[in-house]
Amino acid sequence: MSFIEITQVSKHYGAFQALHDVTLSIPKGEFVTLLGPSGSGKTTLLKVLAGFEPVSSGGVLLEGRDITRVPPEKRNFGLVFQGYALFPHMTVEDNIAYPLRVRRRPRGEIAERVGALLKLVQLDRFAGRKPHELSGGQQQRVALARALVFKPDLLLLDEPMSALDKKLRHDLQEELRAIHRTLGTTFINVTHDQEEAMHMSDRIAVMNQGRVEQFDTAHALYRRPVSRFVAEFVGKSNIFAGRIDRGGGGQLFSGPGFTMPVPDCAQGEALALLRPEDVEIAGQAPMDGRIALPVTVTSSTYSGDRALYTLSPPTGAPILAYGSARSGVHPDGAALFAIFAPENAIVLD
Amino acid sequence: MSRVIFWSTVTFCTAFLALPLLLVWPLAFNTSSFLTYPLEGLTLDWFHQVLTQPTWVNAFLNSLKVAVGAMALALVIGGLAATGVILVPRALQVVLTGLFVSPLIVPSVVVGVAFAYAFGRAGIGGGYFSLVLAHAVLGAPLVFLSVLTSLRGLDPNLDLAGASMGASRSFRFRTVTLPLALPGFAAGALFAFITSFDEVVVALFLADPGSTTLPIALFAGLRDRLQPSIVVVAVLLSLMSLLFLALLRRLQMRVAAPKS
Ligand SMILES: Nc1ncnc2c1ncn2[C@@H]1O[C@H](COP(=O)(O)OP(=O)(O)O)[C@@H](O)[C@H]1O
Ligand SMILES: [Mg+2]
Repeated sequence: MSFIEITQVSKHYGAFQALHDVTLSIPKGEFVTLLGPSGSGKTTLLKVLAGFEPVSSGGVLLEGRDITRVPPEKRNFGLVFQGYALFPHMTVEDNIAYPLRVRRRPRGEIAERVGALLKLVQLDRFAGRKPHELSGGQQQRVALARALVFKPDLLLLDEPMSALDKKLRHDLQEELRAIHRTLGTTFINVTHDQEEAMHMSDRIAVMNQGRVEQFDTAHALYRRPVSRFVAEFVGKSNIFAGRIDRGGGGQLFSGPGFTMPVPDCAQGEALALLRPEDVEIAGQAPMDGRIALPVTVTSSTYSGDRALYTLSPPTGAPILAYGSARSGVHPDGAALFAIFAPENAIVLD
Repeated sequence: MSRVIFWSTVTFCTAFLALPLLLVWPLAFNTSSFLTYPLEGLTLDWFHQVLTQPTWVNAFLNSLKVAVGAMALALVIGGLAATGVILVPRALQVVLTGLFVSPLIVPSVVVGVAFAYAFGRAGIGGGYFSLVLAHAVLGAPLVFLSVLTSLRGLDPNLDLAGASMGASRSFRFRTVTLPLALPGFAAGALFAFITSFDEVVVALFLADPGSTTLPIALFAGLRDRLQPSIVVVAVLLSLMSLLFLALLRRLQMRVAAPKS
């Protein structure tokens, strides 16, 4: 049995349903991320886990124990808020000591734990400062230390990086990952940033309109998305609309301007997904069974190691493709071929 | 053009508000015992007289006692009301707020008559106790509003954060809500104090000879003998108000500061 079991949780705000039958099981010690666009219900699910919002139906189990109706102060979960919610009238040290004071720990133990956490988040030198005297990144680390100091069973983080600039965000992602590895506490992180989710998580729950669309590893989400939403939200994608029919010797997918064999799946209208790195760009069409579509370059973005091209085929939506940029970038308007192997295409239902 | 309008408006309003005060103040230093211009000479005798005359000193002490008592009581009533109202659902908040603020809206004369009658029937008419009670009722809405405003300004996540760390509601209130709302309590207390200190209408209905407050003494003095000593009291009261204004200003800055 899993550490946390969320079973068929629904949440209504009046007539509006913010969560639809959410079911997730989270193993102990994992770093799980709830990923989804703004308004998809991530914070709502986190609040249900923290105990701030009662569920409309369904339940939450912690190691087999029903905690659905346990109040937040009895759950022993650490929580890092989106805006950090540091106590402005207390120093960094007092903020971190707060959960231990609540628990009436002896003075010596408090000093020792606070010292250890300050070291863990590298804020030893700032113990006496007030929150408003710290940078955003430092405040975030105080919030993290405060949520971890009492050895919670579970750490919940609501978009902890969203207020930080990109460089800092990257460093803190590394740090958070390292802290997770050191402590072994179960982390549930919320973000709308798919890169952040992919970098940090053992597993990712992709949320859309109050539903969990897919709960899987980053690799599985990227290579085997179960829906168009997941395919488009996680990484860059090319999606071809077409239909699957029985042809000579197997199933055939007919997309805009090409036909390719696909493994067994339901016939009829279908979508095929192709990741940009699976599309090759060349001046000539190869003769090896791969699909080659004539395209012209509409735009390109050069990033040193490679270039991302937007290519327009005669029919259908533009195609994204990565190309090597070692010997220069193809100019806009250049006539080329977009080449891909049918086995790299993923059929979506 | 807009600058001209701005400055002329400011000048006019300031003159309208401050000129009567500025005109009367110099009379406190006039050697003549009549309240007339031109000044005959400068003296501090009237100040000496006010500060030594038992009528004024007693009235001042009475006012101080009543104001401090009313402030303390208003602080408890208004503070409790505000911390309670913030916890109830929105619709109920509107109703309760209206109720708690109503003493501000009812005319003082009506309040004065009502108290005089009610206290008389209850057998506690006249004297300090009734004055403190009545002024506390007038001051409580000010404390209530001031505390409510500072509570509303608090980030609700602070309380949730406290709960997630295991703190009970009362522990959170003591360690987070109360310290952060303290400037609101202090500002409310000041308002309540000032309100009581210069309240005259209700006091006229309730005070007995032994508990004459400063505004009543001033009022009586105005009718009996128009002397510069009245102006002296007015000057002293103005200075006190200015001091309180400065204090309030500092408190408001403290309320605004932690949000940054
Ligand atoms: N207290 C509330 N009352 C009504 N609707 C709410 C409330 N909280 C959230 N919602 C709605 O629920 C949906 C999901 O919100 P939220 O969980 O905050 O999304 P996310 O964190 O993924 O951006 C949103 O459409 C939001 O408007
Ligand atoms: Mg959110």
